[in-house]
Amino acid sequence: MRWEIKPLYTPLDLQEIGFNYQADLGFPGQAPFTRETRPTGYRSQLWAMTQVTGFGTGEDSAKRWAYMLEQGLDSLIIEYDLPTTNGYDSDHPLARGEVCRAGMALDSLRDMEDALDFPLDKLNNIMSVCNAPQPVNLAMLIAALENKGKRLDQIRLMMPNAILIEYTCVGRYIFPPKHGLRIATDVIEYVIRNHPTWAPLSVVGAQLYAARANPVQEIAFSFAIAKAYIDALLERGFTIDEVAPYVRHITGIDTDFFESIAKLRAYRKVWGRVMKEQYGARKPESLRLQLMSSPGTMDMTLQQPLNNIARLGIQMLACAMAGGAYTINTPLHDEAHALPSEEAIAIGAAIHNIVAHESGVADTIDPLAGSYYVEHLTKRMEDAVLEEMEKIDAMGGALKAIEEGYFQRKLAEQQTARNRAIETGERKLVGVNYLVKPDEKREIEIFRLDDSAEQRQLERLRQLRASRDDAKVRQHLEAVRRACRDGGNLVPPILAAVRDYVTHGELCGVMREEFGEHDPNALTPDI
Amino acid sequence: MSAPIRILLAKMGLDTHTIGVTVLAKGLRDAGFEVIFSGFKQTPEVVAASALQEDVDVVGVSSLSGGHMRYMPHLLELMREQGLDETLVILGGVIPEEDIAALSDIGVDRVFTMGTSLDDIATYIRSAVAARRGEPVT
Repeated sequence: MRWEIKPLYTPLDLQEIGFNYQADLGFPGQAPFTRETRPTGYRSQLWAMTQVTGFGTGEDSAKRWAYMLEQGLDSLIIEYDLPTTNGYDSDHPLARGEVCRAGMALDSLRDMEDALDFPLDKLNNIMSVCNAPQPVNLAMLIAALENKGKRLDQIRLMMPNAILIEYTCVGRYIFPPKHGLRIATDVIEYVIRNHPTWAPLSVVGAQLYAARANPVQEIAFSFAIAKAYIDALLERGFTIDEVAPYVRHITGIDTDFFESIAKLRAYRKVWGRVMKEQYGARKPESLRLQLMSSPGTMDMTLQQPLNNIARLGIQMLACAMAGGAYTINTPLHDEAHALPSEEAIAIGAAIHNIVAHESGVADTIDPLAGSYYVEHLTKRMEDAVLEEMEKIDAMGGALKAIEEGYFQRKLAEQQTARNRAIETGERKLVGVNYLVKPDEKREIEIFRLDDSAEQRQLERLRQLRASRDDAKVRQHLEAVRRACRDGGNLVPPILAAVRDYVTHGELCGVMREEFGEHDPNALTPDI
Repeated sequence: MSAPIRILLAKMGLDTHTIGVTVLAKGLRDAGFEVIFSGFKQTPEVVAASALQEDVDVVGVSSLSGGHMRYMPHLLELMREQGLDETLVILGGVIPEEDIAALSDIGVDRVFTMGTSLDDIATYIRSAVAARRGEPVT
């Protein structure tokens, strides 16, 4: 978003917006949380450093994850290949050529067991990114961890379970939105009741941001989506204070330094207000935004990729100064080229640590508080978010806004506008439309996937299918079908099925038959 | 005044990256082209059949998940079988440099990598289609 920015801000600007220290800032860890959600911020505990990865077979991924833990990370974010996230087994015709590519292939519990075949003692958190088939994915993680002898209360599983974001911009959905929401709600309910220390929902605003939402849209759409989940949980008999602490958010950060800082501050301020004013939440945990930040979401250029290291430094600095994120994703300068190389992972980890330990910006909490400019920007963002949220409420909420294509249309407008701004040079991007090197040679190491991965995966799946008890598989699938129909929670029958190596695609296949499929073109209603 | 240029924009495989194809569809339409979108998650069979049925001058494929080396050869083969040899085939998205020569060998007329401007794409399409139609290039 390009706000109209004045050349100078003075106390008059704060007066104009009615700025009041107690009402607008307060103290860290206290409402309205503008300064920080925790009383001591990064002063007592730095952010956790994590990174998205996953490719090839389970075995291939396990090697990479072991490497990442050696680099000092303690959390993993697992990405799956497109057949998996779309609910197909590797031997499905639509999967050809895509198996093992954009993430790890997951056909059965056996793949998850292979993927976790490394010392798990240093691993504290796993975020598993598999939205439409989330219950299948959750079940495979639970069963694999149990089989590996890991106590489930000694690890924290986190899942975006962010199906409503998929309908809005990413597109890895399977079922129609209302069924998608029911499935996601089953997962949340199951986790709250059985594994209360886990995190069954993260609204991935970062995806909206990557799809060119401006900061106001990112926050407003994310919160509207969060409200749809909350409403579904309240309908199942939970109270707001039982569910609000389980709602997490993931935000995207780009190089616009002050805007990023204002966005992070407005995020936590508005969340607390929405929980309190709209839902009557009372517990402090319900009002505290739980946020993970993802620098490098935008503006990672393909051209002159080493420049991205400078961009990431600025973005990390904004994250560290604004505070509020308990986890920050490791930024990667080769994002626009391929899956991350080992070199990019090591540099990303270094960027975290340089900002954390050399810059000094995390030494005091919310150091920019009181800045005429930052406070003005934060307040404007807060007001604009609340206004946009009212508009979405008037439409009938996020599910309606998705079904009617409102979010998708708004994002398409933004995409076109941003592209135009870059093409006309109105917005300068070094290496893209400014200081361009005409005969640029690639200057970084690029990760290359071993081409044999798909064949290896297909062979493993063939062996698995040949070795199973087919009658048992059919029984499990019928149990899942019954749960689809009678509205029972889908997780228990799916967990029983994956333990007997019923495949991911078979389970999603039954749900496809029961729930139907969503129109693939609903993502782009105008083209 | 020559007939308007008709373009089929296509997405194949499970790749649902929307931004490129959205920006391109709007931009090409604004530039005076007739644009048809295949929809997401299509097979080469469906795309080739739509190209024939819609009588397009250009098939533009958007690929950002690395599936192009699988479906482009198949698409071009199907198009040839249907007599669509004169249809211009262009490909855009995340395409590694090392794939470009192979794509050209199988009959892809032009590959546009990330960062290509809409104007460059529009100019290329106008001149390539004019050449195929035997019209003067303006």
